[in-house]
Amino acid sequence: MTDKHDLLPMFKTVAARVDKRSFDDVTRASVITDLGVDSLSMMQIVGEMETELSIQIPDEDLVEIVTVGDLCSRVERRLV
Amino acid sequence: MAHPTTNLEERLYRTYMEFFEKAERERRWSVFDDIPWDKVNPDAPEDLALCAETFASVEMYLPDYVAGGINVVRDWFGRAWWQANWGYEESKHSLALGEYLVRSGKRTRTQMIELYRTLSEKRWETPFTTARQMTLYGVVQEQATFVIYCKHRDYAKREGDECLFSIYDYIARDEIAHTRFYQAVSEALLEEDRAGTLADLAFVFANFKMPGVDLVPDYDERILKMRSEGSVDRDLFIRKIYLPVLKFLNIGRHEMLSAQRAALEARPQR
Repeated sequence: MTDKHDLLPMFKTVAARVDKRSFDDVTRASVITDLGVDSLSMMQIVGEMETELSIQIPDEDLVEIVTVGDLCSRVERRLV
Repeated sequence: MAHPTTNLEERLYRTYMEFFEKAERERRWSVFDDIPWDKVNPDAPEDLALCAETFASVEMYLPDYVAGGINVVRDWFGRAWWQANWGYEESKHSLALGEYLVRSGKRTRTQMIELYRTLSEKRWETPFTTARQMTLYGVVQEQATFVIYCKHRDYAKREGDECLFSIYDYIARDEIAHTRFYQAVSEALLEEDRAGTLADLAFVFANFKMPGVDLVPDYDERILKMRSEGSVDRDLFIRKIYLPVLKFLNIGRHEMLSAQRAALEARPQR
């Protein structure tokens, strides 16, 4: 199982792939909109992480994601 | 432009006739008879008027919307007629908002004519080139417009302007009806070519912008004001536009990933 500490690197990798730029400086506290990630890219990042981990975050949880940590937490919940 | 198949054309014609019948029987309203003009709040803040003026400005590009839209679907009988009816309904939106600005005393008739002159110096170009892409753009744009008008309807109510509340209410009703029509057409397009339609939907989402961008004077400043009173931020876009559009069209989020990836990769570097 992917533990808590693997999800941030995973986010950075997927985000870099989707948005074609580096996300190396991102932390769990980073606000996703501050990273310049728009709505569609955000949906793509979430979707690709879900696919890689074979999980699905409920749609109603998606709108509550503000920081990278929020996203990681919701992924972690589905992995437990 | 490829001509639609007979079956598809017949289906879209029926879809339009159902839309038109419902509009005629249940949704028609008059700028002159149905709006409570005596309930304008002349003391409402300038920001309320500025937002109404911005909506009116975007609606004033109607000649370009009609010309661009109708030429893309000219060969599709039901859809071409839909565009004509759509133009009639949208024309009432700009007229009602313009009348509101004048009757509330927030703008003079001369100022409105000057605004129209300024606006007409620029021209709206269709953001997408095919009938299918323009239909999908219609789904997203009308849904977004509906959401924004609903938020501003609430804003007008908070400011005690029953007249503007009523105008936004009528407009929002029209916009959601337009959304439903575009969605019905999109369902038919998905049945005919699901992969191609998904690719076009992803392309539209990836390159979507509201029609007033780059056209309306001081648009960025206006949007800042409107955002504080209810524009579409990321949360709202996902919750009220992206997810509802997919749900209505019976498209799973994961089904979009492949097409969405391609559309994002093709998007110019920002």
